[in-house]
Amino acid sequence: MFKNVNWFKLNRSLHRDIGYFCVGVTLIFAISGIALNHVEDWNPNYQVIHNTQTIPALKQMVERDSFETDLLISLQLNSKIKARFWQSPSQLKLFTTNEQTLMLNLDSNQVIIEQIKPRPILRSLNFLHLNEARKAWTYFSDLYAVMLIFLALSALFMIKGKKGVWGPRAIIVVAGFAAPLAFIFYYAS
Amino acid sequence: MFQKKLLLTLISTSAFMFSNLSFADSVFGSGADKSKLTAISTILSTPENYLDQSVTVQGTIVKVCKKRGCWMELASDKQYKTLRIKVRDGDMVFPMTTMGKTAYATGPLTAIPLDLEQTKRYLAYQAEEQNETFDENSVTQAITVYQLNPVGVTIAD
Repeated sequence: MFKNVNWFKLNRSLHRDIGYFCVGVTLIFAISGIALNHVEDWNPNYQVIHNTQTIPALKQMVERDSFETDLLISLQLNSKIKARFWQSPSQLKLFTTNEQTLMLNLDSNQVIIEQIKPRPILRSLNFLHLNEARKAWTYFSDLYAVMLIFLALSALFMIKGKKGVWGPRAIIVVAGFAAPLAFIFYYAS
Repeated sequence: MFQKKLLLTLISTSAFMFSNLSFADSVFGSGADKSKLTAISTILSTPENYLDQSVTVQGTIVKVCKKRGCWMELASDKQYKTLRIKVRDGDMVFPMTTMGKTAYATGPLTAIPLDLEQTKRYLAYQAEEQNETFDENSVTQAITVYQLNPVGVTIAD
Protein backbone atom coordinates (compact mmCIF):
# COMPACT_ATOMS: atom_id res chain seq x y z
CA MET A 1 0.00 0.00 0.00
CA PHE A 2 2.82 2.38 0.92
CA LYS A 3 5.19 1.03 -1.75
CA ASN A 4 4.58 3.91 -4.13
CA VAL A 5 4.83 6.65 -1.51
CA ASN A 6 7.84 8.90 -1.93
CA TRP A 7 8.64 9.36 1.78
CA PHE A 8 11.38 11.89 1.10
CA LYS A 9 9.04 14.12 -0.90
CA LEU A 10 6.18 13.69 1.60
CA ASN A 11 8.47 14.65 4.48
CA ARG A 12 9.60 17.80 2.68
CA SER A 13 6.01 18.79 1.82
CA LEU A 14 4.78 18.24 5.37
CA HIS A 15 7.78 20.08 6.79
CA ARG A 16 7.09 23.02 4.48
CA ASP A 17 3.32 23.24 5.14
CA ILE A 18 3.45 22.64 8.87
CA GLY A 19 6.30 25.16 8.98
CA TYR A 20 4.11 27.73 7.24
CA PHE A 21 1.30 27.03 9.73
CA CYS A 22 3.66 27.48 12.65
CA VAL A 23 5.02 30.88 11.57
CA GLY A 24 2.44 32.91 13.50
CA VAL A 25 2.52 30.92 16.75
CA THR A 26 6.32 30.68 16.64
CA LEU A 27 6.57 34.47 16.43
CA ILE A 28 4.15 34.79 19.37
CA PHE A 29 6.17 32.44 21.58
CA ALA A 30 9.56 33.75 20.45
CA ILE A 31 8.83 37.47 20.89
CA SER A 32 7.06 37.01 24.23
CA GLY A 33 9.79 34.55 25.26
CA ILE A 34 12.45 37.25 24.92
CA ALA A 35 10.22 39.73 26.77
CA LEU A 36 9.47 37.34 29.64
CA ASN A 37 13.05 36.10 29.88
CA HIS A 38 14.06 39.54 31.12
CA VAL A 39 11.26 40.02 33.64
CA GLU A 40 13.86 40.91 36.31
CA ASP A 41 14.98 43.91 34.26
CA TRP A 42 11.69 45.31 33.05
CA ASN A 43 7.94 44.85 33.20
CA PRO A 44 6.99 42.96 30.00
CA ASN A 45 3.24 43.42 30.49
CA TYR A 46 2.73 46.95 31.71
CA GLN A 47 4.20 50.37 31.30
CA VAL A 48 4.31 51.90 34.77
CA ILE A 49 4.79 55.67 34.73
CA HIS A 50 5.52 57.65 37.89
CA ASN A 51 4.97 61.37 38.12
CA THR A 52 5.74 63.09 41.43
CA GLN A 53 4.05 66.34 42.37
CA THR A 54 4.18 68.48 45.49
CA ILE A 55 0.92 69.77 46.94
CA PRO A 56 1.43 72.37 49.67
CA ALA A 57 -0.33 71.69 53.02
CA LEU A 58 -1.49 68.23 51.96
CA LYS A 59 -2.16 67.23 55.57
CA GLN A 60 -4.66 70.05 56.01
CA MET A 61 -6.20 69.35 52.62
CA VAL A 62 -6.94 65.72 53.58
CA GLU A 63 -9.15 66.86 56.43
CA ARG A 64 -11.46 68.82 54.17
CA ASP A 65 -14.76 67.24 53.03
CA SER A 66 -14.00 68.22 49.45
CA PHE A 67 -10.47 66.78 49.69
CA GLU A 68 -10.67 64.27 46.86
CA THR A 69 -12.24 66.71 44.41
CA ASP A 70 -9.74 69.41 45.37
CA LEU A 71 -6.83 67.02 44.98
CA LEU A 72 -7.91 65.88 41.52
CA ILE A 73 -8.25 69.51 40.45
CA SER A 74 -4.80 70.34 41.87
CA LEU A 75 -3.29 67.41 39.99
CA GLN A 76 -5.26 68.25 36.84
CA LEU A 77 -6.64 64.74 36.64
CA ASN A 78 -9.89 64.13 34.83
CA SER A 79 -11.03 61.03 36.72
CA LYS A 80 -12.88 59.94 39.85
CA ILE A 81 -11.68 58.22 43.01
CA LYS A 82 -13.07 54.69 43.18
CA ALA A 83 -11.27 53.38 46.28
CA ARG A 84 -8.95 54.52 49.06
CA PHE A 85 -6.56 52.84 51.48
CA TRP A 86 -4.62 54.20 54.44
CA GLN A 87 -1.28 52.39 54.32
CA SER A 88 0.01 54.17 57.44
CA PRO A 89 -1.06 57.29 59.38
CA SER A 90 0.87 59.43 56.88
CA GLN A 91 0.47 57.41 53.68
CA LEU A 92 -2.77 57.24 51.74
CA LYS A 93 -3.43 55.48 48.45
CA LEU A 94 -6.24 56.61 46.19
CA PHE A 95 -7.33 54.61 43.16
CA THR A 96 -8.92 56.40 40.22
CA THR A 97 -11.26 55.23 37.51
CA ASN A 98 -8.48 55.81 34.94
CA GLU A 99 -6.21 53.09 36.37
CA GLN A 100 -4.07 55.55 38.28
CA THR A 101 -2.88 55.10 41.84
CA LEU A 102 -2.21 58.29 43.78
CA MET A 103 0.26 57.67 46.59
CA LEU A 104 0.08 60.50 49.08
CA ASN A 105 2.78 61.16 51.65
CA LEU A 106 1.39 63.63 54.15
CA ASP A 107 4.79 64.20 55.78
CA SER A 108 6.55 65.29 52.59
CA ASN A 109 3.47 66.80 50.84
CA GLN A 110 4.28 64.64 47.85
CA VAL A 111 1.88 62.79 45.59
CA ILE A 112 3.18 60.08 43.28
CA ILE A 113 0.83 59.47 40.38
CA GLU A 114 1.30 55.93 39.13
CA GLN A 115 -0.23 55.29 35.73
CA ILE A 116 -0.49 51.70 34.57
CA LYS A 117 -0.84 50.99 30.86
CA PRO A 118 -0.83 47.47 29.39
CA ARG A 119 1.85 47.28 26.69
CA PRO A 120 0.09 47.03 23.31
CA ILE A 121 0.58 43.71 21.46
CA LEU A 122 3.20 42.44 23.95
CA ARG A 123 0.60 42.08 26.75
CA SER A 124 -1.49 39.92 24.40
CA LEU A 125 1.50 37.79 23.36
CA ASN A 126 2.51 37.25 27.00
CA PHE A 127 -1.09 36.41 27.85
CA LEU A 128 -0.88 33.49 25.42
CA HIS A 129 2.70 32.49 26.27
CA LEU A 130 1.90 32.18 29.98
CA ASN A 131 -1.34 30.37 29.18
CA GLU A 132 -3.46 32.85 31.10
CA ALA A 133 -6.28 31.97 28.73
CA ARG A 134 -6.17 28.26 29.66
CA LYS A 135 -9.22 26.40 28.25
CA ALA A 136 -8.83 25.51 24.54
CA TRP A 137 -5.54 27.43 24.23
CA THR A 138 -3.90 24.72 26.36
CA TYR A 139 -4.80 22.08 23.77
CA PHE A 140 -3.90 24.30 20.84
CA SER A 141 -0.45 25.00 22.29
CA ASP A 142 0.00 21.26 22.97
CA LEU A 143 -0.74 20.68 19.28
CA TYR A 144 1.78 23.39 18.39
CA ALA A 145 4.40 21.65 20.55
CA VAL A 146 3.76 18.36 18.72
CA MET A 147 4.15 20.18 15.40
CA LEU A 148 7.46 21.64 16.59
CA ILE A 149 8.66 18.13 17.45
CA PHE A 150 7.69 17.04 13.95
CA LEU A 151 9.52 20.02 12.42
CA ALA A 152 12.65 19.21 14.40
CA LEU A 153 12.67 15.53 13.47
CA SER A 154 11.61 15.98 9.86
CA ALA A 155 14.40 18.54 9.41
CA LEU A 156 16.86 15.67 9.84
CA PHE A 157 15.58 14.05 6.67
CA MET A 158 15.30 17.08 4.41
CA ILE A 159 18.46 16.48 2.42
CA LYS A 160 19.94 13.21 1.25
CA GLY A 161 23.59 12.27 1.08
CA LYS A 162 26.69 13.96 2.42
CA LYS A 163 25.09 17.40 2.63
CA GLY A 164 22.43 15.98 4.95
CA VAL A 165 22.55 15.17 8.59
CA TRP A 166 24.64 12.03 8.01
CA GLY A 167 27.52 14.07 6.59
CA PRO A 168 29.80 16.62 8.24
CA ARG A 169 26.78 18.75 9.17
CA ALA A 170 25.92 16.23 11.88
CA ILE A 171 28.20 18.35 14.03
CA ILE A 172 25.58 21.13 13.94
CA VAL A 173 22.95 18.74 15.34
CA VAL A 174 25.38 17.60 18.01
CA ALA A 175 26.08 21.24 18.91
CA GLY A 176 22.35 21.82 19.35
CA PHE A 177 22.23 19.06 21.96
CA ALA A 178 25.59 19.96 23.50
CA ALA A 179 24.76 23.61 24.25
CA PRO A 180 21.84 22.96 26.64
CA LEU A 181 23.66 19.97 28.14
CA ALA A 182 26.63 22.23 28.90
CA PHE A 183 24.35 24.71 30.68
CA ILE A 184 22.80 21.90 32.73
CA PHE A 185 26.25 20.57 33.61
CA TYR A 186 27.55 24.05 34.51
CA TYR A 187 24.58 25.43 36.45
CA ALA A 188 22.89 22.34 37.88
CA SER A 189 25.89 20.35 39.08
CA MET B 1 -3.11 37.70 -5.94
CA PHE B 2 -6.05 36.57 -3.78
CA GLN B 3 -3.70 34.69 -1.43
CA LYS B 4 -1.50 37.76 -1.04
CA LYS B 5 -4.49 39.90 -0.08
CA LEU B 6 -5.74 37.23 2.30
CA LEU B 7 -2.36 36.96 4.02
CA LEU B 8 -2.00 40.73 4.40
CA THR B 9 -5.56 41.03 5.75
CA LEU B 10 -4.90 38.23 8.23
CA ILE B 11 -1.68 39.80 9.49
CA SER B 12 -3.19 43.28 9.90
CA THR B 13 -6.32 41.89 11.61
CA SER B 14 -4.15 39.89 14.02
CA ALA B 15 -2.02 42.95 14.84
CA PHE B 16 -5.16 45.01 15.50
CA MET B 17 -6.69 42.34 17.71
CA PHE B 18 -3.50 41.77 19.70
CA SER B 19 -3.21 45.47 20.42
CA ASN B 20 -6.82 45.96 21.50
CA LEU B 21 -7.63 43.03 23.77
CA SER B 22 -8.89 44.11 27.17
CA PHE B 23 -8.32 40.96 29.30
CA ALA B 24 -11.54 41.43 31.17
CA ASP B 25 -11.32 38.05 32.92
CA SER B 26 -12.54 38.55 36.46
CA VAL B 27 -12.91 34.94 37.62
CA PHE B 28 -9.76 32.98 38.42
CA GLY B 29 -9.67 29.27 39.22
CA SER B 30 -13.03 28.08 40.49
CA GLY B 31 -14.11 31.62 41.46
CA ALA B 32 -14.70 32.72 45.04
CA ASP B 33 -17.38 31.25 47.25
CA LYS B 34 -19.09 34.45 48.35
CA SER B 35 -21.63 32.66 50.56
CA LYS B 36 -19.41 32.60 53.69
CA LEU B 37 -17.32 35.72 54.04
CA THR B 38 -14.91 36.26 56.93
CA ALA B 39 -13.64 39.76 57.63
CA ILE B 40 -9.90 40.14 57.10
CA SER B 41 -9.61 41.88 60.47
CA THR B 42 -11.19 38.85 62.18
CA ILE B 43 -8.67 36.53 60.53
CA LEU B 44 -5.69 38.76 61.30
CA SER B 45 -6.67 39.18 64.95
CA THR B 46 -6.49 35.40 65.59
CA PRO B 47 -4.89 33.88 62.49
CA GLU B 48 -4.01 30.62 64.25
CA ASN B 49 -7.76 29.85 64.46
CA TYR B 50 -8.02 29.85 60.68
CA LEU B 51 -4.80 28.09 59.69
CA ASP B 52 -5.23 25.57 56.89
CA GLN B 53 -8.98 26.21 56.81
CA SER B 54 -10.72 27.38 53.69
CA VAL B 55 -12.03 30.91 54.14
CA THR B 56 -13.42 33.59 51.85
CA VAL B 57 -12.27 37.18 52.26
CA GLN B 58 -13.23 40.40 50.55
CA GLY B 59 -11.26 43.60 50.18
CA THR B 60 -10.01 46.36 47.90
CA ILE B 61 -6.95 45.35 45.87
CA VAL B 62 -4.20 47.72 47.04
CA LYS B 63 -1.06 46.03 45.68
CA VAL B 64 -0.38 43.58 42.86
CA CYS B 65 2.85 41.76 42.02
CA LYS B 66 4.29 43.87 39.22
CA LYS B 67 6.38 41.20 37.57
CA ARG B 68 4.38 38.00 37.55
CA GLY B 69 0.96 38.90 38.92
CA CYS B 70 1.38 36.03 41.40
CA TRP B 71 0.12 37.88 44.47
CA MET B 72 -2.07 40.76 45.47
CA GLU B 73 -2.87 42.43 48.75
CA LEU B 74 -6.40 43.08 49.91
CA ALA B 75 -7.13 45.92 52.30
CA SER B 76 -8.54 44.89 55.63
CA ASP B 77 -11.70 46.45 57.00
CA LYS B 78 -9.39 47.88 59.70
CA GLN B 79 -6.93 50.66 58.83
CA TYR B 80 -3.34 49.97 57.74
CA LYS B 81 -3.76 46.17 57.50
CA THR B 82 -3.72 43.97 54.43
CA LEU B 83 -3.89 40.26 53.66
CA ARG B 84 -1.76 38.76 50.92
CA ILE B 85 -3.39 36.48 48.36
CA LYS B 86 -0.61 34.31 46.92
CA VAL B 87 -0.63 31.72 44.15
CA ARG B 88 2.10 29.57 42.68
CA ASP B 89 3.64 31.38 39.68
CA GLY B 90 1.36 30.93 36.69
CA ASP B 91 -1.59 29.31 38.50
CA MET B 92 -3.44 32.61 38.31
CA VAL B 93 -2.17 35.93 36.95
CA PHE B 94 -3.66 38.97 38.67
CA PRO B 95 -3.61 41.97 36.31
CA MET B 96 -2.09 45.21 37.63
CA THR B 97 -5.04 47.06 36.19
CA THR B 98 -7.31 45.57 38.89
CA MET B 99 -5.88 47.84 41.59
CA GLY B 100 -8.65 49.64 43.44
CA LYS B 101 -11.25 47.01 42.52
CA THR B 102 -12.92 44.70 45.04
CA ALA B 103 -11.72 41.10 45.13
CA TYR B 104 -13.14 37.99 46.77
CA ALA B 105 -10.75 35.11 47.41
CA THR B 106 -11.45 31.60 48.70
CA GLY B 107 -8.78 29.23 49.94
CA PRO B 108 -6.77 28.01 52.93
CA LEU B 109 -4.84 30.39 55.18
CA THR B 110 -1.18 29.51 55.66
CA ALA B 111 1.53 30.80 58.00
CA ILE B 112 5.17 31.41 57.07
CA PRO B 113 7.33 32.12 60.13
CA LEU B 114 10.42 34.17 59.18
CA ASP B 115 13.62 34.76 61.15
CA LEU B 116 15.02 38.30 61.43
CA GLU B 117 17.19 38.05 58.31
CA GLN B 118 14.34 36.63 56.27
CA THR B 119 12.05 39.35 57.63
CA LYS B 120 14.46 42.05 56.45
CA ARG B 121 14.80 40.46 53.02
CA TYR B 122 11.03 40.01 52.73
CA LEU B 123 10.27 43.62 53.66
CA ALA B 124 13.11 44.92 51.46
CA TYR B 125 11.76 42.94 48.50
CA GLN B 126 8.25 44.24 49.11
CA ALA B 127 9.51 47.83 49.29
CA GLU B 128 11.55 47.40 46.10
CA GLU B 129 8.58 45.90 44.28
CA GLN B 130 6.53 48.94 45.16
CA ASN B 131 9.28 51.54 44.62
CA GLU B 132 9.22 52.45 48.29
CA THR B 133 12.20 53.41 50.45
CA PHE B 134 13.28 50.87 53.05
CA ASP B 135 15.66 51.02 55.99
CA GLU B 136 16.55 47.52 57.15
CA ASN B 137 17.76 48.89 60.49
CA SER B 138 14.17 49.79 61.28
CA VAL B 139 13.34 46.06 61.40
CA THR B 140 14.04 44.65 64.87
CA GLN B 141 11.57 41.78 65.13
CA ALA B 142 10.97 38.68 63.08
CA ILE B 143 7.48 38.35 61.68
CA THR B 144 5.17 35.58 60.61
CA VAL B 145 3.56 36.13 57.26
CA TYR B 146 -0.01 34.96 56.90
CA GLN B 147 -1.33 34.53 53.44
CA LEU B 148 -4.27 33.00 51.69
CA ASN B 149 -3.56 30.53 48.90
CA PRO B 150 -6.68 30.80 46.80
CA VAL B 151 -8.40 28.10 44.81
CA GLY B 152 -10.78 30.71 43.46
CA VAL B 153 -10.81 34.48 43.06
CA THR B 154 -13.52 36.78 41.75
CA ILE B 155 -12.84 40.41 40.98
CA ALA B 156 -15.78 42.80 40.90
CA ASP B 157 -15.75 46.25 39.37
